[in-house]
Amino acid sequence: MGFFEGLARIGFAIIQIGFVLALAPLVQGFIKTLKARRQFRLGPALWQPYYDILKYFSRGEVVSEHTSWISRVTPYLVFGCMAAAAGLLPLFTQAPLAFAADLIFFVYLFGLARVFTVLAGLDSGSAFGGMGSSREMMVAVLVEPGLMLVLFAAALRAGSTNLSDIITRFSSSGFNTFTPSHLLGAAGIAILVVAETGRLPVDNPDTHLELTMIHEGMLLEYSGRSLALMLWATNIKQLLIISLAVNLFVPWGVTASLEPVPILVGLLFYLLKVLGVAAALGLVEMLRPKVRLFKLPVFMLSAFILAFLAVIADNVVR
Amino acid sequence: MNSDNEQFLIQPVSAAPRPTDSSASQVSLQELVPGLVQRWVDRGGQATTGQLNRSGNRQWSIKVPASSLADFCRHLLRSLPLYLITMVGLDERERSGSYRLYYVFGVDKSKEFLVVETEIKDGIPGSLLYQSITPLVPAANWYEREARDLFGLIPQGHPDPRRVVLHRHWPDGVRPLRKDFDGAYQPPFVLDDDEFRNRTGGEGIVEIPVGPIHAGVIEPGHFRFSAVGEQIVNLEARFFFTHRGVEKQVEGLDVERAVFVVERNCAACTVSSTLAYCQALEDLGGTVIPENAAYLRLVFAEMERLYNHVGDLGNICAGIGFHAGSQRGLFLKEELLALNETLLGSRYLFGLIRPGGVRRGLNHAGRWALREKLWWLREQNTKLVKLILGNDGVVDRFTNTGVLKNSSAFHLGAVGVAARASGVDRDERRDHPYGAYQHLQPTSIPVLQNGDVYARFLIRVEEVNTSIELLLQALEVMNQHFQEEPTLAVPLGDLPAFQSAFSLTESARGSNCHWLMTGPNNTLYRYRIRTASYANWPVVPRAVLNNIVPDFPLINKSFELCYSCLDR
Repeated sequence: MGFFEGLARIGFAIIQIGFVLALAPLVQGFIKTLKARRQFRLGPALWQPYYDILKYFSRGEVVSEHTSWISRVTPYLVFGCMAAAAGLLPLFTQAPLAFAADLIFFVYLFGLARVFTVLAGLDSGSAFGGMGSSREMMVAVLVEPGLMLVLFAAALRAGSTNLSDIITRFSSSGFNTFTPSHLLGAAGIAILVVAETGRLPVDNPDTHLELTMIHEGMLLEYSGRSLALMLWATNIKQLLIISLAVNLFVPWGVTASLEPVPILVGLLFYLLKVLGVAAALGLVEMLRPKVRLFKLPVFMLSAFILAFLAVIADNVVR
Repeated sequence: MNSDNEQFLIQPVSAAPRPTDSSASQVSLQELVPGLVQRWVDRGGQATTGQLNRSGNRQWSIKVPASSLADFCRHLLRSLPLYLITMVGLDERERSGSYRLYYVFGVDKSKEFLVVETEIKDGIPGSLLYQSITPLVPAANWYEREARDLFGLIPQGHPDPRRVVLHRHWPDGVRPLRKDFDGAYQPPFVLDDDEFRNRTGGEGIVEIPVGPIHAGVIEPGHFRFSAVGEQIVNLEARFFFTHRGVEKQVEGLDVERAVFVVERNCAACTVSSTLAYCQALEDLGGTVIPENAAYLRLVFAEMERLYNHVGDLGNICAGIGFHAGSQRGLFLKEELLALNETLLGSRYLFGLIRPGGVRRGLNHAGRWALREKLWWLREQNTKLVKLILGNDGVVDRFTNTGVLKNSSAFHLGAVGVAARASGVDRDERRDHPYGAYQHLQPTSIPVLQNGDVYARFLIRVEEVNTSIELLLQALEVMNQHFQEEPTLAVPLGDLPAFQSAFSLTESARGSNCHWLMTGPNNTLYRYRIRTASYANWPVVPRAVLNNIVPDFPLINKSFELCYSCLDR
């Protein structure tokens, strides 16, 4: 790789990461507005998540004297993980940091962020943080195997564990991509997206009922800049998970070339796909109540089984 | 770890006899009480009986010495299926040099009441003792602790000596309901430790304190869970954070003026509360209100029940994040509130009931508007229920969640929806009919046995329907018999001084009991509010046991109790 090519890649990475960072709150706002309209409410402005984040950045921060360095480091670390992951995922063309886009690395960037969020929830010693953390770990334990299996099934078919390679390969093979294994994997990841983005029926992101919280519970002690970073990171994670799912399983529009026209078309496709999934998430939130906490394993197990079948199907029906 | 026994510190020592069958034959106090008292006296006890007849409800009053109060109650409870309705403390030192306690009991399937009265002579501090009946009647728990906090009367043998109304930050010896306590006095704030009983300590048990300040806009209440993992093994709930001194405030006020304080004690049950207050006054004065006003009162009371129930149906869904249901419920409630405002000038039906009648009537146009809305609501209610119960996820969350056992509901004196969902068949509209309910009855009073969230939901659904039918019938009667502008109220007249009366009404949450005693010149001498929420809060910790922590908001919402009804 030449010097200038490397420089171009870095520039591209910065552009893509900036793009994801900027788009993420909009997706959140879109889901909220959509839900509000479905409920015959006006709802907050589409741009409200941006205002919120800006507001929190300008606010002072209260840090409990009982907390350790974990609470202080976590927001930056989580945000950093999400920003890094944003560079690894091919959105409408190959990933800018394709050389590092190993899917195991990608998934465990989320894992790292999650572990620190959980630790920060415990760190302040508040009851709600502890409850949120223990529930988050329970959900994580259930989600991770399913997610890894879904990705492995895709990797097996593509013959690579590089996300960028997998997705560009899928997108170039047209309708041949839609094997039974692919469809099973798509069904599996649909469930996992709900769980990973912390939405109903797994977690209720809009609740004020502390006792039912999972993700929100862990953030209760944060304020000011830290809260802004955590909320922003949550939005980014949501967008990345949606992007991963749609680009892996509906890879249309993702191009391998770096020409402007295919990239613009790819961008358009990408936005449509993301908003489509976001709308679906919003609709599910309207129609399903939160599932009882101890029924989550059943829900997640179905994702795991689908993923497992996807791996088998890949070997049986090719 | 047997949390069931550990948590429940108040077990009835000798379980009161209970009507085993809901169709059990009627108990007649008329036949039983004189004999029971006679036997008590024969055994060397002291008791004097009296009898009162108030608007069709016969009252027995029995005076016993404070030192044998519980013994006498045990004697009574052996033969009579009594349940505690309310207990009132009274500072009568100016008149007789003593304090008085009134325990008002009711009997299922009977229109009679039994009031056990006791006198505690004022003397040196610390000698204000009486026998606690809480070990016998667990429902008396809060009442007796409250009488100690507010009057300094000490229930001997009470299993839970902690404060209830006045938290520890109130200085010792402040007794706000004594006559010589100045209501304007602001006691200093004394910092003191919490007094939670850690009865479920042990390895793996985590305490989760929640509130009194919550993430949502909710009144103050502190809930302390002891949980193993997610399972709740104990819940201690503390309320009374914002004691307002309402009962103190109305003392000495003219009864006609006090009504403005009374009706604003709680917005969600303002009609039923004011109604109970006014009925008690009318009982005392022998006032007969115009029949038209009686029907209007029924209409207002049922309109109050409707907006509450419809809102609660939606609000239960908010406990599980089912937005489709909760928003629909909110919408229907808003429609009813808007109707209240258009027809009667107040969204929450404030200011409609007055002693001697009502303040506003319904003209033909209003009656028609109401009737059309009721038809509309009948359809909408069916749709709402279909939307909510048609969702398997919702039904799954509702079923077997927050089960209140029949025995808990009975012994802790649950009322209203909570009681009827657990098989305790009580409804003041039928049991002690008042006003127009003497002529018009709900077609059915739903009773379920399961006692879970689902049962409480279904009871409300059914009651919305019966309320609509009842309202339509009442409107029919009004259209046939009453002119547009008949007299709405009659003057109350002079009330006898130092007489007590109480009245029961059925609010959306259950029975409200208002007890009052008049002073000279139509003033209030003592006023005791016991709303449905006061009776029902103690059962919530029982219903929560062995559920998981994230189910608590759902269970709490299925009872939908009011905090300000406690902060009187």
